[in-house]
Amino acid sequence: MAELTVDDLHLAYGDNPILKGVSMTLDRGEVVSLLGPSGSGKTTLLRAVAGLEQPHRGTIRIGDKPVFDGAARTDIPAEGRNLGLVFQSYALWPHKTVFENIAYGLKLRRIGGAEVGERVRHVLEQLSLAPLAERYPHQLSGGQQQRVALGRALVYNPPVILLDEPLSNLDAKLREEARAWLRELIVRMQLSALCVTHDQSEALAMSDRILLLNNGRIEQQGTPEEMYGNPLTLFTADFMGSNNRLAGRVAEIRDGAARLDGEGFALWGLARPSARIGADGTAMIRLERIRLADGPGDNRVEASLTTSMYLGDKWEHLFALGPARLRAYGDRPLAAGAHWLHLPRESLWVF
Amino acid sequence: MRASALAGLPRGLTILVTAAAVLSPLSLIFYQSFLTAPFFDARKTVGVGAYEFIFADPDFWQASTNSVSIAAAMVVIAVPLGALLAFVMERTDLPGKRWIEPLLLVPSFVSPMVLAFGYVVAAGPVGFYTVWATELFGSAPWGIYSLVAIGAIAGLTHVPNVYVYASAALKSLGSDVEEAARVAGASPFRVALTVSLPLIQPALLFSAVLVFFLGFELFGLPLVLGDPEGHLVLSTYLYKLTNKLGVPSYHLMAAVAICIVAVTFPLVLLQRWLLQNSRKYATIKGKAGRMRELPLGRWKWVAAALIGLWLFVGVVVPLSGIALRAFVSNWGYGANLAEVLTLEHFVSVWDEPMLMRAIRNTILIGTVGGAIAVACYTAIGFATHRRNDGWSRFVDYLVLVPRAVPGLLAGLAFLWVFLFFPPLTPLRTTIFSMWLAYTVVWLAYGMRLISSSLLQVSTELEEAARSVGASRGQVSRQITLPLIRPGLMASWLLVFMIFEREYSTGVYLLAPGTEVIGAQLVSLWQGGAIDVVAALSLINVVLVGAGLAVALRFGVRLRD
Repeated sequence: MAELTVDDLHLAYGDNPILKGVSMTLDRGEVVSLLGPSGSGKTTLLRAVAGLEQPHRGTIRIGDKPVFDGAARTDIPAEGRNLGLVFQSYALWPHKTVFENIAYGLKLRRIGGAEVGERVRHVLEQLSLAPLAERYPHQLSGGQQQRVALGRALVYNPPVILLDEPLSNLDAKLREEARAWLRELIVRMQLSALCVTHDQSEALAMSDRILLLNNGRIEQQGTPEEMYGNPLTLFTADFMGSNNRLAGRVAEIRDGAARLDGEGFALWGLARPSARIGADGTAMIRLERIRLADGPGDNRVEASLTTSMYLGDKWEHLFALGPARLRAYGDRPLAAGAHWLHLPRESLWVF
Repeated sequence: MRASALAGLPRGLTILVTAAAVLSPLSLIFYQSFLTAPFFDARKTVGVGAYEFIFADPDFWQASTNSVSIAAAMVVIAVPLGALLAFVMERTDLPGKRWIEPLLLVPSFVSPMVLAFGYVVAAGPVGFYTVWATELFGSAPWGIYSLVAIGAIAGLTHVPNVYVYASAALKSLGSDVEEAARVAGASPFRVALTVSLPLIQPALLFSAVLVFFLGFELFGLPLVLGDPEGHLVLSTYLYKLTNKLGVPSYHLMAAVAICIVAVTFPLVLLQRWLLQNSRKYATIKGKAGRMRELPLGRWKWVAAALIGLWLFVGVVVPLSGIALRAFVSNWGYGANLAEVLTLEHFVSVWDEPMLMRAIRNTILIGTVGGAIAVACYTAIGFATHRRNDGWSRFVDYLVLVPRAVPGLLAGLAFLWVFLFFPPLTPLRTTIFSMWLAYTVVWLAYGMRLISSSLLQVSTELEEAARSVGASRGQVSRQITLPLIRPGLMASWLLVFMIFEREYSTGVYLLAPGTEVIGAQLVSLWQGGAIDVVAALSLINVVLVGAGLAVALRFGVRLRD
């Protein structure tokens, strides 16, 4: 059952359209990430769901209750939507202790003092914050603040929690731990979560489903595997991973495969919807899919090594193929000169 | 969740009361200016006779010319000095900066009436410094009653107004742009002239308009210093109209008031526009890092001496004059300071119930009245906070209106309001009338204090409260208000000092029961009671000084 349904949502700041007809659903117990570059409208969408931005068309429903309907002029204010929202900056109230920050939402719901205490303590324990209840926000580390912000949003059991870049304020090492912890918590507590992020690896790791936004529209949506392994557009392919691009002309399309001819290569790959025979096209392949080969063969190119970089767990080699540059991983350094590279046709997309 | 119809009620009421308090006095002035007699006179008719009269009066034109020349002189003096002062204070290794900083702002907290009086007793024809200089050198090469002197004194005492804006702009200007100029080979003063000052040009332009505007509002200085040689400016022309004709000439006063507002209101709008523009520029700034101070070298002492000279002329001379005059029985050539020392002026203040009432009222209006005023400003602040609708914009402009009406006119207008609306008349002789006028006159100032506190509360803290289910009212009371409490305390202190300092607003509202020191000084000065004026001035300075001391002790930012 859908906990959250957004249908054809339009939103503009003055004359500047931000959301141009976005539709999505969030099912119970599901984590959906809104992914996109800055300016794509992902945070605006989240804030519109929360009731902090004013769309001008479309509908937003929480469960089966419409909270925004442009046609029917329904617009329930933020405080009436009963959602949990975790801010990027955490936005903890500096004049309230950890306990008071979390308890505030319960007090607003006129819940008795004893029950407030019990429920706040329960949340504090679940978030391993129990010893910090009487501290003020400025006495907490970034990770602790993030957990308080989460507790504040969870304590009154909202049907959906909204997370705005929940990990971006943590430093790199802490972020990976927090990512695993957050995913585990969401699954354990069976939360339905809508999460904004600009980091594709975070989205891949955290979500059941990813919505990729581009310029106010949904570019593609699907499971993390689909988004990474089967991108339908160049934008999706480009955004979801580290890629090699080759420009050329689409020479042939046959049985779902396409051949791209370019300067110094002719490669077969999976034809994407936008590929047209005779038109300019782009071939794209993830860095980790290129293999070093020992000689010529099917879908192989010869390129000369420009430089190599040591990354710790592997090497990254940079090759020149005419005007194009190709990057590939290897497990050992390479001698200077020309090398053969294999670009498997099932890993290469032609757009 | 409360019904939304009821939720809007406090806001609507706040806006309505504010609009009434701001617009009724002004509309009454406007109405009065088109009558041929005072509004309570049965023989009044509608007409432009009042305007015809003042436009035919050569004194009016002389006063207008004087107002414009004094305002222009103030701009010419205050803007370059204030800008240079800001650069020296913000960017160089001037010795003793920490001590100089609070002193720089003193002139803006002392009542101009007190300052003017201080100049008379210190540097007037028989002032302390004049007498001493004459005894030492045979003559004193200054006079303070000429138009040039008034312009110079007004200009020097308004340097802080420019300094405040210029130094704020310099603070927000990233030092990297200056460092780049230094690396490229520019000397400190070249950096100031070619990089820093051009970059804060919007702030300087704004303060130039502000100073010109304040020049138009000037009342205490020209009243005291312009009197001996008969120099009138628009505000003193208005004040003296009654004497001139010998009958209550409300319609003429209203016509002059409208002429003044016709100049000041566009200036206020211009200031608002410039301020918004300068904020637009402020976003394009370099990295604001801690900068190494520019070494002044030998210039260090020149700069320190110039600032010292300015402080001497602008602060020490008038204040020491008052302090001395309050303790001497008489003063003139041949008087020996040790022989004329006395406390009798304070005794006569003590013995005069009217003056004691004035002191009590002044303290009351600053403390209790200040607190209530801050509460009112806060209510208005909340009525527009984070709302971008037509009502908010209306209030935005509404609070600007009193800014354009000099205190003298506002006091006059409130007097008329109390006379015009019979239900209000009994309140006229209570301190409430004075408080209302003060609160409205300083509305724009107070709102700036409140809104700068409100703006420091991050939007997300309020949005977070709404997302967990707090209504707008609950957010205001339970999140925003506790967060701005320190700002409100600071505002109270600043409003206290402003209310202690105020003098022109009370001039026309002065009555038995509403005495305040500021207005009482004007009235006593007119009566020539110089001894009591000196004692009362000193008491006034002490009151403001007490506020200033508390403010400095608690690190309150003295600038808005």
